[in-house]
Amino acid sequence: MRNFGKLLVFTLVATLLPLAAFAQEAGAHGGSASNWGAALGAGLAFGLAGLGCGLGQGLTAGNTTAGIARNPGAAGALNTPFILGMALIESIALVGFVTAFLLIGKV
Amino acid sequence: MSVYAWLYHTLHVSWVLQAALLAIAILVGLSAAVRHRLAAPDGGLLPDEGITLRNMIEVVVEGLANLGRQTIGHDYRKFFPLVGAIFFFVLISNLLGLVPGVGGASSDINTGLAWAIIVFCVYHYAGIRRKGWHYIDHFMGPPMFDRQIFGKTYHVRALAPLLLPIELVLDASRVATLSIRLLANMFADHTVVAIWYGLVPIVLPAVFMGLGLVISFIQAFVFSLLSMIYIGLAIEDSH
Repeated sequence: MRNFGKLLVFTLVATLLPLAAFAQEAGAHGGSASNWGAALGAGLAFGLAGLGCGLGQGLTAGNTTAGIARNPGAAGALNTPFILGMALIESIALVGFVTAFLLIGKV
Repeated sequence: MSVYAWLYHTLHVSWVLQAALLAIAILVGLSAAVRHRLAAPDGGLLPDEGITLRNMIEVVVEGLANLGRQTIGHDYRKFFPLVGAIFFFVLISNLLGLVPGVGGASSDINTGLAWAIIVFCVYHYAGIRRKGWHYIDHFMGPPMFDRQIFGKTYHVRALAPLLLPIELVLDASRVATLSIRLLANMFADHTVVAIWYGLVPIVLPAVFMGLGLVISFIQAFVFSLLSMIYIGLAIEDSH
């Protein structure tokens, strides 16, 4: 676990440090986005929503599969809560998707 | 180029209205065909052989009836026409939205909002009609203690000031999430198909249209299942 923390910090630093070097050039020819905050927000909106949705649906699918593996006769009873749970979790990711599109319109 | 362009340009009929009327026309046609089949002298008792329209619709109706009995309870037949109509209307609108020259009514927020508002009104009306003033009780949380005033026992729900605003906001958000879930699913699939059509116009958009086919069935199913669950929660007796 401690090694993982060091690895994570190292990866982040190694990825983000060259951005400081690029910032010098970027100031020269300038970004063409007049509202970079909206663009950044759009990316973050769908990215984080997708992360949460992926985790939630992965847990749902895993638990449903474990339930069916434990008791194969329960597959019919588990079908409806499975689809319902997936669709409800999906709706949160889709709200993030729609937010991203609305923000892209404001760029 | 869409099927609705002519009426839109001549009589200024909005395409959403045209799409909804087309879906209703298809639905009425399907139901007329099935009823004609069931009105035949031997109809209704034995299922047909193989895959026929009546068999497919019977499978769907039986599945929805089973779900309705599980969620709404023993008088699910009162609400079954509404839920079945919503399922088929949403399904046909979604499927029409996938066809390239034709648009579906579920790609617009207004139809989804109309369906969600209808379900909202129906479950509140059913709950109030079943329970009267006590319908508010389940918004106010569990009874924490009992208090005797002049010989009559009151179940005091002490967490009501905390829970009532939260529950009312959650209840209002059901309308929003029902409509936005449907709209966002259809919008996402149309956008993905359009993007892939711009990149690789040969075979790949068909794969995403297949995904759209699955999604339209699932979204119609989820909309009607959630309607049944909301109705069941509104009219159930407290445990």
